[in-house]
Amino acid sequence: MAKNKVADSLTGLVGTFFHLDSLLQAIEQLRQAGYRDLQSFSPVPHHNIDATLEKPPSPVRYFTLAGCLLGAATGLTLTIATSLHYPLITGGKPIVSIPPFLVIVFELTILFGGLLTLGGMLFNSRLPKVNIGPAYNPRFSEDQFGLWVRCEQKDHETVTTLLKSAGAEEIIPAGQGREL
Amino acid sequence: MEIKRRDFLKILGVSGVTAAVSGCSSETSRTLIPYLIPENEVVPGQATWYATVCRECPAGCGILAKTMEGRAVKVEGNPDHPVNQGRLCARGQASLQGLYNPDRIRQPLRRGADGNLQPVSWDEAERILAGRISELKGQGDRLAFITPVMAGSLDRLIDLWLKSVGGGKRLRYEPLSYESLREANRIAFGVQEIPVYNLQNANFILSFGADFLETWLSPVEYARHFALRRAYRAGSMGRSVYVGPRISLTGANSDEWIPVQPGNESFLALGMVNAILAEGLAEGLPAPELKGLQDIVAPHTPEAVAKQVGISADKIRVLARAFVKKHPSVALADAKSSNATDICVAVNLLNYVAGNVGATVRFGAEAAMAQVSSYGSFQKHLREIEQGAISILFVAGVNPLFNLPEGKRLRERLGKIPFVVSFSSFPDETTESAQLVLPENTFFESWGDYEPWTGIRGLQQPVMEPLYDTRALGDILLLLSTRLQNNEKLPWKNFYFYLRDQWKELYRRIKPDVDFETFWTESVRRGGNFQSVATKSVQLNPEVFKKSFQPPVFAGAGDGFALIPYPTLAFYDGRMANRPWLQELPDPVSQIVWENWLEIHPSDAEKLGIKKNDLLQIQSPAGEIKLPARISKNVRPGIVAIPVGQGHSAFGRYAQGRGASPMSLLSAEPEADSGALIWYGTRVAVRQTGLKHMLASTSGNDRSHDRGIVQTISLAALQSGIEKKEHPHLLRMYAEHHHDKHRWGMVIDLNACVGCSACVVACSAENNIPIMGKEEVAYGREMSWIRIQRYDEGTDERPDHHFIPMLCQNCDNAPCEPVCPVYATYHNPEGLNAQVYNRCVGTRYCSNNCPYKVRRFNWHTAQWPEPLNLQLNPNVTVREMGVMEKCTFCVQRIRGAELAAKEENRDLRDGEIVPACSQTCPTRAIVFGDLHDPESEVAKLAKNPRGYHVLEHLNTQPAITYLKKIKAGPVEG
Amino acid sequence: MAQLTYHQVDSDILRAMQAPGWRYYTLLSIDLIVVAWGIFAWRYTVQHGLGVWGLTHPVMWAMDITNFVFWVGIAHSGTLISAILYLFRVRWRASIYRTAEAVTVFALFTAGLFPIIHLGRPWVFHWLLPYSQFGGLWVNFRSPLVWDVFAVMTYMIISVLFFFTGLVPDMAVVRNRTSGWRQKIYAFMAQGWQGTDRQWRHYKAAYVFLAALATPLVISVHSVVSWDFAQSVVAGWHSTIFAPYFVAGAIHSGLAMVITLLIPLRRIYRLDAYITQQHLENLAKLIILTGLIVGYAYAVETYIAWYSNNVPEWQRFTYQVTGEYAIPFWIMILFNSLVPLLFFVKRIRTSTPWLFAIAILINIGMWMERFVIIVTGLAHEYDPYSWGVFIPTWVDISITLGAFAWFFLWFLLFIKFLPVISIVEVKEELPPPTRSQNGEE
Repeated sequence: MAKNKVADSLTGLVGTFFHLDSLLQAIEQLRQAGYRDLQSFSPVPHHNIDATLEKPPSPVRYFTLAGCLLGAATGLTLTIATSLHYPLITGGKPIVSIPPFLVIVFELTILFGGLLTLGGMLFNSRLPKVNIGPAYNPRFSEDQFGLWVRCEQKDHETVTTLLKSAGAEEIIPAGQGREL
Repeated sequence: MEIKRRDFLKILGVSGVTAAVSGCSSETSRTLIPYLIPENEVVPGQATWYATVCRECPAGCGILAKTMEGRAVKVEGNPDHPVNQGRLCARGQASLQGLYNPDRIRQPLRRGADGNLQPVSWDEAERILAGRISELKGQGDRLAFITPVMAGSLDRLIDLWLKSVGGGKRLRYEPLSYESLREANRIAFGVQEIPVYNLQNANFILSFGADFLETWLSPVEYARHFALRRAYRAGSMGRSVYVGPRISLTGANSDEWIPVQPGNESFLALGMVNAILAEGLAEGLPAPELKGLQDIVAPHTPEAVAKQVGISADKIRVLARAFVKKHPSVALADAKSSNATDICVAVNLLNYVAGNVGATVRFGAEAAMAQVSSYGSFQKHLREIEQGAISILFVAGVNPLFNLPEGKRLRERLGKIPFVVSFSSFPDETTESAQLVLPENTFFESWGDYEPWTGIRGLQQPVMEPLYDTRALGDILLLLSTRLQNNEKLPWKNFYFYLRDQWKELYRRIKPDVDFETFWTESVRRGGNFQSVATKSVQLNPEVFKKSFQPPVFAGAGDGFALIPYPTLAFYDGRMANRPWLQELPDPVSQIVWENWLEIHPSDAEKLGIKKNDLLQIQSPAGEIKLPARISKNVRPGIVAIPVGQGHSAFGRYAQGRGASPMSLLSAEPEADSGALIWYGTRVAVRQTGLKHMLASTSGNDRSHDRGIVQTISLAALQSGIEKKEHPHLLRMYAEHHHDKHRWGMVIDLNACVGCSACVVACSAENNIPIMGKEEVAYGREMSWIRIQRYDEGTDERPDHHFIPMLCQNCDNAPCEPVCPVYATYHNPEGLNAQVYNRCVGTRYCSNNCPYKVRRFNWHTAQWPEPLNLQLNPNVTVREMGVMEKCTFCVQRIRGAELAAKEENRDLRDGEIVPACSQTCPTRAIVFGDLHDPESEVAKLAKNPRGYHVLEHLNTQPAITYLKKIKAGPVEG
Repeated sequence: MAQLTYHQVDSDILRAMQAPGWRYYTLLSIDLIVVAWGIFAWRYTVQHGLGVWGLTHPVMWAMDITNFVFWVGIAHSGTLISAILYLFRVRWRASIYRTAEAVTVFALFTAGLFPIIHLGRPWVFHWLLPYSQFGGLWVNFRSPLVWDVFAVMTYMIISVLFFFTGLVPDMAVVRNRTSGWRQKIYAFMAQGWQGTDRQWRHYKAAYVFLAALATPLVISVHSVVSWDFAQSVVAGWHSTIFAPYFVAGAIHSGLAMVITLLIPLRRIYRLDAYITQQHLENLAKLIILTGLIVGYAYAVETYIAWYSNNVPEWQRFTYQVTGEYAIPFWIMILFNSLVPLLFFVKRIRTSTPWLFAIAILINIGMWMERFVIIVTGLAHEYDPYSWGVFIPTWVDISITLGAFAWFFLWFLLFIKFLPVISIVEVKEELPPPTRSQNGEE
């Protein structure tokens, strides 16, 4: 399965764990051994995994902020510009009557914020993903954990021992898409 | 009335041609008008106005008919006509629905073997008729001809024609006739006439049952007079008191209502005379007259009368004093009881002693109504019919089978006549029983003239080609005489030439300093020739001193209710019942539409356990009918009132099978003295049927629940002087927005508005407002843009009706505008609250947010059965289902006037733009104009201290200012 | 839930998605018939005009807008449970929020129909949307109806996003359990989810922010809906208390609806282990709160109507209490503010039959509340001459029933095609398998 259409991509090993703590131990050992390009698989999110992998906080928040600002701006422009473009008096109110317009502004703020948040998530986590790399095992979504280690052919020996020692139930060589 | 003048000028140049062209109309049957080479006066999109005469009732108002593309689309009063001076009543406004009535008879009909009426050609019809007439072999008196009062050339032509076939009986029949008044004038003054009443000079109008705002003699004229004198001028206003068994619209507009049993009016009048003479208030009476009068009224002391009539002697004295002191005053009588003539005589005496005769009551110019043949003579002829003395009966323009009492017996009598010919344009009851139907043109399609008062000769010209294969009555007779080889007696080619000859004679009589053609053209243009007639002075006729005054007598069980059948503002005697506009026009006092009812006092209703809308059986010796109950304090206890006009068994889809006609309950016996029909001479038994019948009323609630919608001010307060004050705490959140040139506004004087509802019909005609029918209206879905709201502000025992025309207020801060998501309604730069029908998506939010509830929603797509659609105003969109609509001060007229002003590059003149409601208002209660122009009438009126805005506290800043109604309170003297 | 394993969770929750039995199909077909009838009634309206409804002058809104407000209200509890409780880290929400959120989405699908249905000319409903029409004329942004368009649209989009984002990891589970075309669909919805640390990190971040956005949104939406009334001059509508009053009412009705749906769901698919008595009891407690707020709003309205000394206000109030619509009014008082107080009694709020019955009553009560507010306000306005009464016709009623059926149709499909409980969040609540306590079966 290493010779599949992602053969040209990075090679590595993926270890399967039944227990969360085994996974965490494996991550630590590999990182000490200098293998920093790791990728964990888990059925549920767990703060310890991120902690041990020492990943930076997600940048999605900036997408959200940008979305909200964009939405507010759109709201203001839309309401004011259209009213000025075709000025009609209703109920003796001024053509640009801000209080009612603020409702529109608010709703668009939320709408755009929400859309860009989702966009941010998909973009950052490289979704949607057409085909799933060979390293993934369906049970990773059910009740098992996985850890993929990027390593040259020559290092397979060491990595395998490290994973074993951490309690990996099964170790298979697997490429993984470059985008990871 | 500038705009009308201009229209005249437009016509002036061509009216000669008009005359010629339309003159031929009676010969040609061409109804299409070529646009490639338009006739001179037919310019596509351009309105042409023709002056003619309204023949819907004997008042004979002058009208201008607005025609576009060769069809009449709107009628308005003729400003040059002395009777109505440019205004029209609801019936006049609805006259077009006679012309365009979908149930009109469209060609001659004859009764076939199967007993049904079948179409025949005019030629065939004439042949049959000529045959029948020649069978008479000179026994012309076997032929009877019934027409209404025609007071004009046609009237004379008919007499000539009858002579030409060897005489024959001529009857001028009017259901609302005034025989007793005429007779009383003979008895009192020796002149058997109906005088002119100058109400506009009367400081005190005392009406004994004369409903001069609805049907009495000349309602539009008298409404104008009434409002003129009621207007507050120099610290005073005319006063009015209504004496009668029920509150009519006239009663509702009077300061006081004095409820009396029908027939007792004479004693009240005599009591007043007695008081006046006793207190020596009668001035300048020659001694013998004074003596004679004292003898007559001696038994009728206020105390005696008080006992008979049931009002205090002091009250009688107060009225008497007021009546004299407020000279000139006037007492009017419309007596309908068995002692009707007595009442009219008594009222004559009252007028005489108060010195009103010659002042407000003027003999000289008499009313056409005086020509009516009395009901008594009608009865006489009916007896002849029974003896088989009549073999041919002509009926034109009247519907005796509906109007006369004992309809059933009458039908049998007519059945005895071998050959009945009807000239009616409508399938009415009488026509239903005719052997031959020769439909005559409506007055819009024919030439004619009508003289309602001596000297006032309205000239009636056709305003369009006949819609169907119908002919003018005059033409039919002339063609008939041609067949009968009577030409030497009647040498005229058609009625048009006869009419001209008649006017030639007039021309010779009055000798104007112009040649006849000019005289004729001018008369056609102005809608007639109007001469004032000298007043002739009258003395008391000695005969009157022998007069003895009888109490009223009633047919029927003594414990029954005295029946009061009354003609209505909308239907007159019932001849208007086939006009959908009038059927859907709420009766001003009861607010009920599409049907009639029985009005009974709450105390009586309680006794009989009658609830609202209970279906009652009303029984008299003559017959019985069923009607739903309306419990109301508008009638005094012991009587029941029923509106006349509904209950047609024929007469088309709009009239047929609605309510019942009380005429069938009356006894046929005429009044002894004058031979008048006794309307108020029957007692009826009222019984529950156990069924209910829902009446459709447009009034959601009769009380105004202290919302201050109709506001009043006491005469005293006004005299002591008041300041106009705006609502104390009205803040504008934003600066008043900009109106570039005009700001259109309106002032409605509630003191002038009498609730006659002419504006409502005028609006429907102008703005293509659809008819919804009883069920929809009952559910609250009527479409009228303007409505006369009636609020009863009265006490428990005495109602006090206030009327307020409610239409879109075109608010500056219109609550309807900002809620519309699509800008379908917005504020235009001239201050109008515009409604864009094509943009409306129908969220109905605007209507929910309108505090005045003057927006109307199209629940369904409206229908205009052919040919009613021909009346639609081409300048106003016909709205589709799902769209909101409303009044915009007749924006089409505003734009029209602005365009005209632009063409003549000048500014708009004040009063140049007149919305339909304001145009027709007989009392000039509605004034429209530019609030920005300080000189405009409307701007000046808006500053009137009586001014207020409805629901002012909502700060909607309406463009309509109402002027408070003045409450004068009871007369003092 | 301690004894549950990850594996157990998957199989339990996915059980609900197994091929349905005859009961399900009968229910579905009955539901479809009612939907069809509702659609017919609307088609009839479009053909003959709104005259076929009971609407009249002056009552130009009635059951149409009542349904709109009611269904928007129903939506609110879903967002409350899924977003607000999430932000507050309320752990018990985990196993009920999926259903609650589904209720939100489907309620909005239903509510969204009425702005179109209620139009006099529904074929031009697109004129309500913000785009340049007729030479640059847009919509009137001053109109509360346009605010509605924006608020409800936004709410619908955000709720749908939130719903499907929450589904992604679960879709991966389902994807791995299915095969063939089903797998293709779920694979698509899973968007190629693998549960890598990177995916989880961004996913969690996005989820928090969506929740953070949804929270003010849900407050705004029913405030805007309430302004349809509060912005008008109509006595009984024009009231500053409306926004909070409507939001509370919305959540009140929404919670009731969630309970109404959870109880049978839990029973039929034997999910007692996940949706425990505790969950229902907590919902009941929330209902006490919202019920008290609603009751307070009623009291304030009454008091202000009297205290304002405003003639139309007071007359409208007395009419509301004694007039043609007195029965709906008293139903609303009883079912919304008094009956929920029974939940103070533990025996009642812990007994499923009681819960179910009371939840139904609250649903009825809340529908009546909207009806009473709308109709009595319009029926007796400023001009007594124009007072009128609304009487529903068969068309009004059919469309209303059709709307309910439409909502349940979506819910029935949801049960069979999506996990009714969030697999991942339930797993999160479980202790992760470790060597120490040997979580392996």
